[in-house]
Amino acid sequence: MRIRSFEYHTCSNVQEALQFLGEYGPDAKVLAGGTDLVLALKAKKIRPPHVVNIVDIPDLDCVGNSSGAIRIGALTKHARITSSPLLEEHLPALGNAAGLIGSWQLRNVGTIGGNLCNASPSADSAPPLLAAEAEAVVLDSLGEYRIPMKDFFVGPGSTRMQPTQLLKEIVIPLKQGGPCHSVYLKLKRKKAVDLALVGVCVLAQLDEVRGTLKSIAIALGGVAPTPIRANDAEKMLLGVPLRQAFEMLPEVAEAAAAVTRPINDVRATASYRTDMVRVYVRRAAGEVFQYLSARMEGQ
Amino acid sequence: MKTRISVTVNGEKHDLEIKPNRTLSDLIRIDLGLTGTKKGCGQGKCGTCTVLLDGKPVNSCLILAPQVNGKSVVTIEGLGNGERHPLQRAFAEKGAIQCGFCTPGMIMTAKALLDQNPHPTEMQIKEAIGGNLCRCTGYTKIVDAIDAAANIVSDSTVETGGRDV
Repeated sequence: MRIRSFEYHTCSNVQEALQFLGEYGPDAKVLAGGTDLVLALKAKKIRPPHVVNIVDIPDLDCVGNSSGAIRIGALTKHARITSSPLLEEHLPALGNAAGLIGSWQLRNVGTIGGNLCNASPSADSAPPLLAAEAEAVVLDSLGEYRIPMKDFFVGPGSTRMQPTQLLKEIVIPLKQGGPCHSVYLKLKRKKAVDLALVGVCVLAQLDEVRGTLKSIAIALGGVAPTPIRANDAEKMLLGVPLRQAFEMLPEVAEAAAAVTRPINDVRATASYRTDMVRVYVRRAAGEVFQYLSARMEGQ
Repeated sequence: MKTRISVTVNGEKHDLEIKPNRTLSDLIRIDLGLTGTKKGCGQGKCGTCTVLLDGKPVNSCLILAPQVNGKSVVTIEGLGNGERHPLQRAFAEKGAIQCGFCTPGMIMTAKALLDQNPHPTEMQIKEAIGGNLCRCTGYTKIVDAIDAAANIVSDSTVETGGRDV
């Protein structure tokens, strides 16, 4: 498994990285943690003449809270996301998801930016970010752009980003007014390290006065060419009293399963994946609703 | 085209001129001659190439040499400072070694675990070594050995880490 030689460029800041990417465009690949890139280089799936190492750029490895939003630098390792108290409080599903990526060894190296830019349909970071309506902040030599997560993924391995662009950070808007909870559940073939056959994130916010669901998001990974939202299933639950929401779970799960377009592969059949979406949507939503009812009763 | 890197391995600083397509596992084994670190799958699945990078366990087969510039690496050779580390003794005493190929990686992961959590539960040990495969399937004794070593190591100084494990 020898890696073909390439020209290596290291950058100490974002401007340098953008300069290299502007110059080499599609001939260059970005190296962040490398857990996906090095694998692809070894398998000779890609043969880039240039590799641009951004891992030493400072200030992109952080989780912070500013002006009503959580900002996660593109170079933040999965291990840091898993143990972030800020995410534990505001978007626990993302911490759950990051903790389920690969092994401990991989989580110490792999980055959230790499997980998103690699654009695997089963990327664990994606469903929680889709559900939270996060935005990707992307840079090129002309300026800064924001791409909503729902538009970020184009297909397996491909995103909206141009080869001359660099992902800077992810911005997650904080929800105001009313308790919120989120859960990410991942189906694997075994308990240990594996890719997701199905990943389900449910995020809901409670209207405490009315006892109804103020907002609800259901995001699915591994069951379509990109991570997707189950919009119809969400609409069924919006504004519904919490108690009634529990009873609606079978229909909601059915509506979520209806939007999937899974594939058959060595890991599972398409119909098994769709079946498991039904099960996991019920389970994840059930957990979220349980948490919210406990909050409501606790008052 | 070679690139110049500076890396501390087992406390000793090395300035190397190296091809950027070199992996860390090859740097350790071929350039530095430290063959205690094993190469298994080469795909980050088996964990036998595990070393500590700035104190954290990583798969050295998935890291390119330039990524460790300015960083500190500890391999199985750097664990005991001449003596056998309590983990090495516990693995031998508990019979946690069969063919031995996974052992260096297992021990490095276990070392990182005990550094951040001196009293892991059985489940925490199992979760920590989830990325280290033992094809002899001798997991029970490996978990026993890590547990036994934890009782010996727990007196020494401890860094606090995240709650990743």
